[in-house]
Amino acid sequence: MAASVGEIERELAELREEAPEGGAWLRTSVLTHVAWAPPEWREAAEDALAGLAERHPSRTILLVPEPDADEDALAAAVDLRCFSAPGQEHHVCSEVIEVRLRGRRAVAPASVVAPLLLVDLPAFLRWRGEPPWGDGAFDGLVDLVDRLIVDSTEWEGELPPRYAELARLFDRVAVSDVAWARTTRWRTALASMWPGIGGVRRLRVTATPAQAHLLAGWLRSRLGRDDLELEIEPAEKLVGVEVDGEPAPFPPGDPPHPSDVLSDELDRFGRDRVYEDAVRAVR
Amino acid sequence: MLVIFGASGDLTRRKLFPALYAMAYRNLLPDPFAVVGTARTELENDEFRAQMEEAVREHARDPFRDDVWERLMECSHYVATDFADDRGLDALVALLNDLDERRGTNGNRIHYLAVPPAAFETIVEQVGERRGREGWTRLIVEKPFGHDLASARSLDEHIHRWFAEEEIFRIDHYLGKETVQNLLALRFANGIFEPIWNRQFIDHVEITVAESIGIEGRGDFYEQAGAIRDIFQNHLLQLLAVTAMEPPIDFTAESVRNEKVKVLRSIHTPGPKHVVRGQYGRGFVEGEEAPAYREEEGVAPDSTTETFVAAKLFVDNWRWADTPFYVRVGKRLPKRETTVAIEFQRAPHPPFAELAGDGLEPNVLIVHIQPNEGVTLEIGAKVPGQGMAIRTVNMDFLYGGAFRTSLPEAYERLILDAMLGDATLFTRSDEVEEQWALDAVVATWQRDRPSFPNYAAGTWGPKPAHDLVARDGRRWRRR
Repeated sequence: MAASVGEIERELAELREEAPEGGAWLRTSVLTHVAWAPPEWREAAEDALAGLAERHPSRTILLVPEPDADEDALAAAVDLRCFSAPGQEHHVCSEVIEVRLRGRRAVAPASVVAPLLLVDLPAFLRWRGEPPWGDGAFDGLVDLVDRLIVDSTEWEGELPPRYAELARLFDRVAVSDVAWARTTRWRTALASMWPGIGGVRRLRVTATPAQAHLLAGWLRSRLGRDDLELEIEPAEKLVGVEVDGEPAPFPPGDPPHPSDVLSDELDRFGRDRVYEDAVRAVR
Repeated sequence: MLVIFGASGDLTRRKLFPALYAMAYRNLLPDPFAVVGTARTELENDEFRAQMEEAVREHARDPFRDDVWERLMECSHYVATDFADDRGLDALVALLNDLDERRGTNGNRIHYLAVPPAAFETIVEQVGERRGREGWTRLIVEKPFGHDLASARSLDEHIHRWFAEEEIFRIDHYLGKETVQNLLALRFANGIFEPIWNRQFIDHVEITVAESIGIEGRGDFYEQAGAIRDIFQNHLLQLLAVTAMEPPIDFTAESVRNEKVKVLRSIHTPGPKHVVRGQYGRGFVEGEEAPAYREEEGVAPDSTTETFVAAKLFVDNWRWADTPFYVRVGKRLPKRETTVAIEFQRAPHPPFAELAGDGLEPNVLIVHIQPNEGVTLEIGAKVPGQGMAIRTVNMDFLYGGAFRTSLPEAYERLILDAMLGDATLFTRSDEVEEQWALDAVVATWQRDRPSFPNYAAGTWGPKPAHDLVARDGRRWRRR
């Protein structure tokens, strides 16, 4: 168990030397993926990571805050996950560093992450749960990365004020929202109703509240209208949309796996203006 | 025979004896050989050997082996003496002569000055007065070599009263690092780089010498030196010289140093607008709270000593005219890393610029000097799948792993070179003089009172350092 950044680097170097012959000293990376995963989110975070490494050779830094621990310390476990590339002899290796931030070491996680970022490559922060808006630990990490990935489905309570907080970050960091990504198929379906949908007055969405708000915000911002009413029928996922009482056509295909959604977000660079407008139009 | 002055000090414990052990481990020590440690601290031979064993067990890169240690200890000795005391030095010389006879070292001597600069002149004089007629004598001098141009010249004149230039080995341990030498190999052993290693193809060069640690109890020294004398004036300028030098006609000491000194002479002394200094305040490093510089032991509460320097330098010659070299050194930065980054010009007309979006970046070649020695080449590659999305891919060549061997410590290489009389990786007196041209920068600092602290520990320096690069439409690389 490494207790400092220097030890983490040393252990990674040793793992690379032990990795499959012929490829360990040639590392190919495309990004650094930072995941803030409090203990209650760790399992879900691991699940999303599964399969990610094959598509995005990267360094993943899994931050597990334990602010109530008895000691102030870092405890890091490093792992090198190598995959055979189909039809080729060489391996693709990704580095996974799980860092437990114990006691006061959870106060400034950005100072732990900064020395571990891969040189020059984009850095993505996947924040599990609702971000603590205005908190120093969160702000420090946001200022360190190129893209913040949240899932507003994971937030609890009244959503509009929370989206307003999120919108304040748009000029500091590019933002992705897994809840938004999961509405893609339905947005395509609703767009296919153009031009009829241009006069929509009332939207009834059977989905998570986050998805319902984002769909309504999207329609308001795209149509340039603020008078669209939203009725939410809570469900665990987006299963139906009614436009002025008429069901919208059910989109084809299956909802994507969590790791596919995250993987797609890791392929994005720059700001998603359509999403930003949708968030600003949440009421 | 290697004579270490300052043998009870930290350098001997952390670097010199572990280096000697590594050389013994690989049978690289000459035969016959003897090492004599000397310092003011009263120690018996056995006590000294016990201390060195502890140091080797803690700091050596190889596993501890009794047989290797016994071999090294069998030829290790210690003499307690005050360097200014004639009788003490006479006793030391008597021991060296006795060892010459017993071990057959023929009067060949390397005197290693691992002592504070204030003791240099006394030891040089004492040793110079007592140098024998048999064999060769060499002097290894640790940095800092003087504290400004005048003191460097004065020290140089003093040493030259007893020692010829070819007998003086001024150490800058950065030059002993494998990757610094690999930078030379990269440039001059590969046909693909040198043709584009110039202003026509390179947009700018960035050199960073970053330390995450503070001053580690060296307040008295650091208050006098600051970042500019501790790192900038020596390590950083040597890295710049190796990066920018012309190909030497061969790899002899004189040829290499001739080319380096030409670069140092060509550096345009930066004006105040091109230099930024900083001092760290409180902050967090690796999650741990770090005190402000002014709160460190031995530091004045109103100290104006700089712990960070960034500068935009120009090498005024045919190869590099108008190509900026952005350089920075600092303490309490987010991580320990020394790198030289060569950013090439952007592709002149990427046909898919609109399709590729934000992923199009210029190529960068990054030479990692420490801690993980290696080379990274940043290239744009197509993202698999439909469309023409481009993203930057880092191809990392990890130096240690490629050769499946641990890299020698810089001191091993340098001590061995000094034994062989090869001064290629040591600094010549004219190089030192050119490096002290930075005095002009320091002189301008005497006239103002900076608003310190101006950066938090654990960050990449003060905002003006970022502005220095941003004014030119560039940014420091993300480490």
